[in-house]
Amino acid sequence: MGMLAMAEGFGRAIEEAETSDDLREAISEITTKLGFDYFALTHHVDVERVPHASMRLHNYPENWVDYFDGNRLAVSDPVHRASHVTSVGFTWRELPQLIAMTPSDRMILALAREEGLGEGFTVPAHVPGEARGSCSFACPTGRPLPTHILPLAQLAGAFAFEGARRMWRSRTLGPPPHPVVTDRQRDCLIWVARGKTDWEISRIIGISPQTVVRHIKQARERYGVEKRTSLLIRTLFDGTISFTDIFRR
Amino acid sequence: MLHIFEGGGRLAEDAVLAAMFEARKRVFVDLLGWDVPVLAGRFEVDQFDDVHARYLVLTDRQGSHLGSARLLDTRRPHILGALYPELCEEEVPSGTGIAEITRFCLDRRLRAPERLIVRNQLVSALVDHALGAGIHLYTGVAEMGWLQQILSFGWVCRPLGLPRPIDGTLLGALAIDIARDTPSLLARAGIYQPPVAVIEERRRAA
Repeated sequence: MGMLAMAEGFGRAIEEAETSDDLREAISEITTKLGFDYFALTHHVDVERVPHASMRLHNYPENWVDYFDGNRLAVSDPVHRASHVTSVGFTWRELPQLIAMTPSDRMILALAREEGLGEGFTVPAHVPGEARGSCSFACPTGRPLPTHILPLAQLAGAFAFEGARRMWRSRTLGPPPHPVVTDRQRDCLIWVARGKTDWEISRIIGISPQTVVRHIKQARERYGVEKRTSLLIRTLFDGTISFTDIFRR
Repeated sequence: MLHIFEGGGRLAEDAVLAAMFEARKRVFVDLLGWDVPVLAGRFEVDQFDDVHARYLVLTDRQGSHLGSARLLDTRRPHILGALYPELCEEEVPSGTGIAEITRFCLDRRLRAPERLIVRNQLVSALVDHALGAGIHLYTGVAEMGWLQQILSFGWVCRPLGLPRPIDGTLLGALAIDIARDTPSLLARAGIYQPPVAVIEERRRAA
């Protein structure tokens, strides 16, 4: 079968899935056809803390998943971090070219290998206004990556992520998966991110310093966080503000 | 406000078009670093911006550019057919009722939430335009990061071949089926937001 016909077949299988079990089954099958054993499709958030705000679908070894969740690795996982700096699929061997690897990053990869996850390929998935995510395919430890198939895996990852996203959206429905701030609160946040003081912000946007403080406080309350830094991180992460907003012009 | 230009764009004659070519320069040349021609240091205009091109341009009330897209007739030279036929595993889709979406451009001045609104309006306008103009298939070349977004619009979208690394980016060719139910598919994905006012500025080809 030609690669394009395979890609079309994958697309149909994902489209036809009605439940998340169907979808998991369909993606498992695609994973096998691509020459991998494992897949993990996820939003990059701490699943232990916000179980419903994110989606995750995988067939990784259970031991590894327990360890991963137990240690709150989702947000610091080197694979996830690398997928925030590129829009193109990458092999795990390429990680050091994408991000500065710390000793704990190397330890995570070594532990994963011990649990049976060897080489892998990750397709970053970024839908503006939503948490970033990715779809990874992996081989059991000791087996080489099916390199020739990576362009197809790239497409499969993108379609699989969208399939899961569609299902997850229709289940969570209605309001977006993160708190919504007002335009004014957002303006203040962007200036905070640019390093301005409350007084400076009040001059720039023409409101009183007390009002600036109130806007930021209300935005913190909507997110349920104590610190401005946490607020900035959360809003950058869920796409309420973007790096482009902060560094524009 | 949506402006539709047919019969090509002569930028000297229309402020909306001129603003679009300037916005394209800011996005595709200044931001994305594409190696495409720039006219007078300000306007991004290429060989496909001829009398056969069609433009959908969104502006605010004052006529400032918000977003735009160019449609090329696939019976004539177009990007997939002329520049990247290798992205299609089979023949490049072309013919009556098939148009290529190119230069999908969201103004750089837009902030994240505005960008999403303008993007949704532009995608909705493209679908509505296709339904009115007898277009049943859109094709396009997309960089991989953009692909995830295109898929998230909810329309029926399929790859025409495997992505390939070209000039340092990974490009893929896509086809999007347009049918009566496409607006409702966009609506289900939360994307369908057609612009309120439509201004058709049909021009005769020279």
